[in-house]
Amino acid sequence: MSTLAPAVSEQLVAPWVEWARRYTRGRRLLEAGTYALTEGAIAAGCRVFAGYPITPATDIAEYMSKRLPQVGGYYVQCEDELAGMHACAGASLGGLKAMTATSGPGYTLMHDAYGWSITNEIPLVVVDAMRVGPISGITGAPGQGEFYIARYASHGGNFETIVLSPSSVQEAFWLTIDAFNLAERFRTPVTILTDQVISDMWEDLFIPEDYDALDFVVPRKNNLMMPFYPVGSADLDVPPNVIGHGTGVCVSAYTHTEEGYDIEEMEAQWAQTYRLINKIRHHRDQLTRYETVGVEDADVIAVAYGANARTVKTGVLEARRRGVRAGFVRLITLWPFPDELFERDVPYVVCELNYDGQLVREVMRSAPDGKKVRFMGKSAELHTVAEVAAGLEGVARTGRIPELPYIWTEVR
Amino acid sequence: MNRLAKKYLRPSQIPTKACHGCGIGMIENWLLQAIDEMGLKQDDVIFGTGIGCVGRQTFATWGGDNFGATHGRALAVATGLKLAQPDKKYLIVVGDGDAASIGTSHLIHAARRNLGVTVICEDNMGYESTGGQFSPTTPAGYVTNSSPYGMVEPGFDPCDVVKAAGATFVAETTATQWHQTVKIVKKALANDGFSFVHVRFPCNENFGAYALGTRDTLKNLEWIYEHTQGRKADGTDADFTWETGIKHDASNSRPEFSRLMRDMNARVKADMKAKQK
Repeated sequence: MSTLAPAVSEQLVAPWVEWARRYTRGRRLLEAGTYALTEGAIAAGCRVFAGYPITPATDIAEYMSKRLPQVGGYYVQCEDELAGMHACAGASLGGLKAMTATSGPGYTLMHDAYGWSITNEIPLVVVDAMRVGPISGITGAPGQGEFYIARYASHGGNFETIVLSPSSVQEAFWLTIDAFNLAERFRTPVTILTDQVISDMWEDLFIPEDYDALDFVVPRKNNLMMPFYPVGSADLDVPPNVIGHGTGVCVSAYTHTEEGYDIEEMEAQWAQTYRLINKIRHHRDQLTRYETVGVEDADVIAVAYGANARTVKTGVLEARRRGVRAGFVRLITLWPFPDELFERDVPYVVCELNYDGQLVREVMRSAPDGKKVRFMGKSAELHTVAEVAAGLEGVARTGRIPELPYIWTEVR
Repeated sequence: MNRLAKKYLRPSQIPTKACHGCGIGMIENWLLQAIDEMGLKQDDVIFGTGIGCVGRQTFATWGGDNFGATHGRALAVATGLKLAQPDKKYLIVVGDGDAASIGTSHLIHAARRNLGVTVICEDNMGYESTGGQFSPTTPAGYVTNSSPYGMVEPGFDPCDVVKAAGATFVAETTATQWHQTVKIVKKALANDGFSFVHVRFPCNENFGAYALGTRDTLKNLEWIYEHTQGRKADGTDADFTWETGIKHDASNSRPEFSRLMRDMNARVKADMKAKQK
């Protein structure tokens, strides 16, 4: 697989490295990212999809409408995205794994349900196939504008979120199963923040033959007794609550007690917040997935995620060919943000698909010297290999990114 | 505590935080009477609410499983929940804001799908928990805290909306009609499909005080009663009339939503099996 000289270290840290090694019997297909996202969900045991069609996530809805009835599941085409994610939350509360898929305009509408699902610790998976914006933007062009929106996917604060981003069709398949596993284990919605290129792109895809034999899939369990909300605890693997089993569970939008009763007291607010934040913060070691190339001896490190990481990685290799000791960090887990990947005190060049600069701000915050962090923003189109190589070469040799058309470097 | 409350509700969650003289507790008691007369148990019924007076005062009072959705979304949640738990009865107890304003799109589409739930729209004719602003069910011309010169917009009748959308049971009643309401709720719960029961009740603290000029519960109930009769106590005509009773009864006349979905799945499975042979 590797196109690198053996001297360059390459590392992929993600649970599917082992999954792919263990499960080798199956079909090899030429398929789209939306297909991989759908099949990953089915393999993970998803049995409800409720959503509203939107480019470039529509194909997920169409694939789901065909696949779910075949496995005894339900496809619901809702009146809007608000209904879509709330219906998913309802299905998950009833004991079925559920997913919805959308793009930016729908993702913002879902934040009502997103906050409700966070507070009530409802496992769900949300796919956001980002396109360039703001608002409708260009429906067929990729963007990376929801990096922060995915982190702050509800109003009110006092929560952490889990956000993953694939950079190939194959990875979209495994990562979707991983997203479902994390949703179950952390009792929270998980966003798969993908983009128009990964969604629409057709690539080589391996699908294991028997989904029932995948022993790494975390099955749905039901919490049948109090406490329904272990407020004040950061415990993982608490079974999700279930409505319809006569437990007397209470689910609401309010700050709650461990029974789920609404309460207006500081102590209760604190205990709930402790749980929602620390069940994620205290287990960050189980959440961080990433890829690196040659970071140990690099003089400059490029940072990217999603589809854009594909050309950025090639740009890093091109820079190395030109004699620049360049490294590469591809984030797969975007949130909680993996600060530990930016421990080396070298210049980082953050390449992302927006001009406002989002990911770059987190790299500035976590790097030893934020002043050494450079930004290469582009809009509606992936960075070219030449742009990335020129940027890395410029930073390595002069400390500056050269003037390049369509590349913005200012972060305010 | 009365017998029905002891049998069905949570002692720790009642009495509710409702204001003195509020109709919400009384109507909930009538719902319990209907549930009891149908022989339903706590585990048979899932209780869903929204936001506002009705959501806040009824949430978690029910002894069985409860959910309190964000404003307007109770029916969206119920749409997914019904697929996972199709054999339960659903009481979706919401206000006029939830049903007739912020959540109307879900109301319409739940009716269209014939989702197997009973919506009890407890209508206090305005947004009373936020201090008494008008809603789409506030009678035209009436003064509220956001219509100080009288409500100039026309309202609408949510019963007409859900009937047009395909609801299979639609009824209207008020907080002055105890036995009629119990009978209607029993019929609504017996429909394996979308049932809508619109129950008007007085808010004394806001609608009563600002629109009717009194916080006296009995006077406000009398105002409601007069409008069910079209005549005031002094024999003159009321300014408008609410026609209460069953508006539309097509109970069990078409398949319920989750049944349709399961039937389709059975057909798909059978076709797959036939192809394999």
